[in-house]
Amino acid sequence: MDKKILFSRMLKSKFFMVGAVLVLLIVLLSVFSPFIVQFDPVTNSLKDRLISPEYFASGLSGHVFGTDDLGRDIFSRLLLGSRYSLFIAAAVVLVAAFIGTILGAVSGYFGGVTDMIIMRLCDIMMAIPNLVLAIAVMAILGPNIFNLIIVLIVTSWVQYCKVTRNNVMVVKNAEFVKASQVLGAKKTHIMFRQIFPNVTTQLIILISQQFGWTILTEASLSFLSLGVQPPTPSWGNMIADGRNYLITNPWMVFAPGIALMITVLAFNFLGDGLRDVLDPKKI
Amino acid sequence: MENNVLLEIKDLQVQYVTERGTGNALNGLTLTIHKGESLGLVGETGAGKTTAALSVLNLLPKPAGRIIGGEILYNGKSVQKMSNKELMDIRGKKISMIFQNPLTSLNPVFTIGEQISMVIRKHEKCTHRQADEKTKQLLEEVGIPGSRLHDYPSQFSGGMRQRVGIAAGIALNPELLIADEPTTALDVTIQAQILELMKKLKTQYDTSLLMITHNLGIISELCENVAVIYGGRIIEHGPVKDVFGTPLHPYTAGLLGAIPSLEGKKERLHAIPGKIAGATNLPAGCAFHPRCEMCIEKCKSQVPPMATVRPGHNVACFVKAEGK
Repeated sequence: MDKKILFSRMLKSKFFMVGAVLVLLIVLLSVFSPFIVQFDPVTNSLKDRLISPEYFASGLSGHVFGTDDLGRDIFSRLLLGSRYSLFIAAAVVLVAAFIGTILGAVSGYFGGVTDMIIMRLCDIMMAIPNLVLAIAVMAILGPNIFNLIIVLIVTSWVQYCKVTRNNVMVVKNAEFVKASQVLGAKKTHIMFRQIFPNVTTQLIILISQQFGWTILTEASLSFLSLGVQPPTPSWGNMIADGRNYLITNPWMVFAPGIALMITVLAFNFLGDGLRDVLDPKKI
Repeated sequence: MENNVLLEIKDLQVQYVTERGTGNALNGLTLTIHKGESLGLVGETGAGKTTAALSVLNLLPKPAGRIIGGEILYNGKSVQKMSNKELMDIRGKKISMIFQNPLTSLNPVFTIGEQISMVIRKHEKCTHRQADEKTKQLLEEVGIPGSRLHDYPSQFSGGMRQRVGIAAGIALNPELLIADEPTTALDVTIQAQILELMKKLKTQYDTSLLMITHNLGIISELCENVAVIYGGRIIEHGPVKDVFGTPLHPYTAGLLGAIPSLEGKKERLHAIPGKIAGATNLPAGCAFHPRCEMCIEKCKSQVPPMATVRPGHNVACFVKAEGK
């Protein structure tokens, strides 16, 4: 597609613009968080516990979103927590997409026994509830960030595999594939240079949507204290910490909760927007 | 004559095995193409035209399609016995193909220039720039401005895309060009343009042409010789003038009788009764016998051999071969 057309479509799609701006903002905030935060997000300071939000009354040097039950600044924890969330999500999505796409492409292109083995593997993975598997694995391997990433990859590659496989199967019967065979192309060339570029659109959309899902799952696991471990801040364990103070000091839950909601929403919007932008049927 | 044979198909038998049964697509197809010759292969849908073309390149859909007998010799060398590498060198460089549907035979995600120069770069050692230069020339030759090199297939019309397909087909000056119904998906005026183009290129590049079609008009326009295929076998073969002027096989006569004529008295079109012989249950003997008006007892049990009736004009029919 022409770059000009792509650009004008991006500007026209509201979903894409909202999603892209929000995602960009979140990523920038988390990347530059060390320069923004004024407080140590990990050390306790019990004399400052449960201060209610000052918002921007005293600028960034005040407790913008208040403090938690151990006197830690919630705004600082929120920003540094976003680094873990985004890093984990990025690692998981990229590796899972890589594995899933390759397996899916091989499965769809070669078919036959290869296809059957890979697809049954997918079926098995899909039959196990993701969260249950994650809990089981984390309980056995012990909760740390590396294991968390592994678990999330194991549970999410299936999606990419199925999507890629189905698309490859459609594209591989197209006449242009036969044409390139006739013109002397090798199998690897056909698979990666002819077929693969035709399925990337769906992959890009899936990746951006999976980003939101991964952040949410990571938060769920951290909430169950099977993910990122305290005192390292993560939105999931921040919500878990605030649970007991929900009635008396609701900001402890609201800040990470709303941050989580906005982030997941932003990635979902981006995914929907990308679908509109990259839709070849639209003119 | 014998020494400039380019492609020789000898008694080729191809089977398609599917869950619904076994189909005998080709049942002893014998065909020869000489250097510089242009041969038309005519037949109804399902007669085995495309199967023949694909077997030449050893590209039958796997695992369903199989060659169970016969031989394909390209320049005296058996295609079935070639290694993968040899095959890949032949495909595109020596034997090339133009496809039926130009809307689907180009990859939508690459520019047309990229697609043609990919073919050139695959077979010839040259830089991107040289390949692009050559692509530009090719495009100009098939009537597309070279400035459209960087446009995507979706920005072209059907006829233009077929021109691109032809440019990719002739990119490496192949010895044999197989055109699988190249004009079927195009409307009549564009068909004429494409045929003109192919005619021009054929003389210019001195390429042998195997034209697969069910349009008899195209054959008489473009080819010197014609082979009529029915039930996976060649039933009549000869120079276009002879075959279309005095058809011998009742099937060929039927085909020609089914074309409305623009001149003379208006009369009912002659139709061939019955349906085309299906590949799954081919009749014994001559495959055409259930539909044939001249059928004799022998036709029902024995396959008629090719017999030369006059120089270069052969027919596989007991009645016609004896009555010469």
